[in-house]
Amino acid sequence: MSQFKVLVGKELRESWRSFKLLWLPLVFILLGVSDPILNYYMMDILKAVGGIPEGFQMVMPEFSAADIIAASTGQFQSIGLIVLIATFVGTISRERQNGTATLLYVRPISHSALFLSKWFVATLVAMISVIAGYAASLYYTVILYGPVEWNRFIAMLATYLLWICLVMALTVAMSASFKTVVAATLTIFLVIGGTIFESLVGSFISVSPWKLPSSSLALLSDFYDGTDFIINLCLSFGLLIIFILIGIMMCKSNASTTKI
Amino acid sequence: MGELQAVPWALIAPLLFIQLILMVVALIDLSRIHATNGPKWLWVIIIIFGNLLGSIVYFIIGRKQS
Amino acid sequence: MTLITVSDLTKTFGNQTVVDNISFSIEPNTSTALIGPNGAGKTTTLSMLTGLLSQTSGSIKMEGVKDMRSVIGFLPQYPKFFSWLSALEYTEMVAKLSGIEVKQAKLQSQKILEYVGLGAALHKKTGTFSGGMKQRLGIAQALVHKPKLLLLDEPVSALDPVGRREIMNLLKEIQNETTILYSTHILNDAEEMTDQLLFLRGGKLVEKGSLKEVRARFEEPRFKIKFSSSQQALQFASQSELHCHVEGEKVFVEIVHEQPTMQQMLNRLANSQFSIESIEKVTASLEEIFMKVVGSYESV
Repeated sequence: MSQFKVLVGKELRESWRSFKLLWLPLVFILLGVSDPILNYYMMDILKAVGGIPEGFQMVMPEFSAADIIAASTGQFQSIGLIVLIATFVGTISRERQNGTATLLYVRPISHSALFLSKWFVATLVAMISVIAGYAASLYYTVILYGPVEWNRFIAMLATYLLWICLVMALTVAMSASFKTVVAATLTIFLVIGGTIFESLVGSFISVSPWKLPSSSLALLSDFYDGTDFIINLCLSFGLLIIFILIGIMMCKSNASTTKI
Repeated sequence: MGELQAVPWALIAPLLFIQLILMVVALIDLSRIHATNGPKWLWVIIIIFGNLLGSIVYFIIGRKQS
Repeated sequence: MTLITVSDLTKTFGNQTVVDNISFSIEPNTSTALIGPNGAGKTTTLSMLTGLLSQTSGSIKMEGVKDMRSVIGFLPQYPKFFSWLSALEYTEMVAKLSGIEVKQAKLQSQKILEYVGLGAALHKKTGTFSGGMKQRLGIAQALVHKPKLLLLDEPVSALDPVGRREIMNLLKEIQNETTILYSTHILNDAEEMTDQLLFLRGGKLVEKGSLKEVRARFEEPRFKIKFSSSQQALQFASQSELHCHVEGEKVFVEIVHEQPTMQQMLNRLANSQFSIESIEKVTASLEEIFMKVVGSYESV
């Protein structure tokens, strides 16, 4: 436990001193505010920039508050996830490759503490970023599109944060298993590829971990089907534990690959 | 130019402001870091002219981490 | 009492045997030098002792110690630190990871950093450190938890002459307080501080013993006699029944079982008509011994 605390302290210092705790939330805030603002003022902006012929009528779809939150989620799901994965996918592998891990591994260190500290801080920073992004999105959405029900929003956010937990567990476990480049390729392929696959044929599949973001959004609307949701929730928790166990195992078995 | 004033700058401003902060943070980090992947002057250009993406790319691959 | 016993230690990567069946033991409060050319298996041997690599076969035993990692301090050839931590933060962190409690960790870190000469750089980020400072920090982090055995991989070979001198002096001081096993390919270093020499060649332990023992085995004492001309030298060699070796006007006479003695040699020369410029007894330097023990590997 004390090793875990020491290592979490180290990771937090790293996140703070490399500005991760600042720039990642800023990126998510930017992603979060862009949809509510740009959608609302699309017409004005197009007019101001010019290029709309005189008398041209464009029918802008009427967005609900939930639509805008969904659009922001779409931003987090693409650019946001890629940025998070790219930031944390080297967290273990890079230390082995540049040799900084060597002087930690020669100590009586627990590989569970090592992996859990990495995952904990990656998840913490990712969650702070996502929450900041949603807060910013919500603020503008409420001003421009009308209110969002609080309890529904909290339920949605909690579900989405579980998804972030899962993505970070996969990212850090990949980092424990492979070299940085391989880990990055595999993680982005699995997460982003899976998300695209889900958006294409998701309606034919009812149970998959990639459903988590869409079911979190469904929580916002009036009509949602709760039967598969519980199953997906359980599946995600199961996967989370499996990723963590694999990560700890790989941490241990790959310790000797550190550069001496 | 009257239409430019029609743009609700009060609401757009935060977008630009955050982007500016991000750029400044990236530049501060760049000035303090002892080594980057690739020449520093190149990163200055990428951060200033690359908007949001420039700063993100700098933080992800520009910093040499050890 | 023996501190650590290594028996039949072997490491293979694929079908390549990097460390081949080596055995040795180390007494407490002694210094042992692991000598060999690059690629002889020094770093692999040290890595197995630290537990970073697991051996293919053989054993490493320390009396009454369960997890050897808690009583070992290790300094790699090129120590890498987290550039965003200060020297004190780094040393404190690794001390705590070695199980030292918080207050004590801070105290011991400060003390050891001052001891290695980094007292003025406690709060400087390690990313700004020079090579010599990094080596000092490396020694500090290896000592902060008061290990029973200090393992050093080529502790001075990456440093310039000034840095090398400073670190050697520091190590000689530390030598009095703990047990050291270090690898090197620089003989002068080994000559300065060592109780036991281990010569590695191609993964095999080809020679071991104290500096004195190894010397006695390989020094090949000879008389070096300088004659006034090379003709005289040749003449002396051809007339003598001793094992002679001529090099210009110099003749080397081998000493076998302490024969002949200096007295005998002087008598023999005094009673002859040779004109002699000088005579001295010479022994092989450690450098020559090293070449003899280890260097022959290249020609194999």
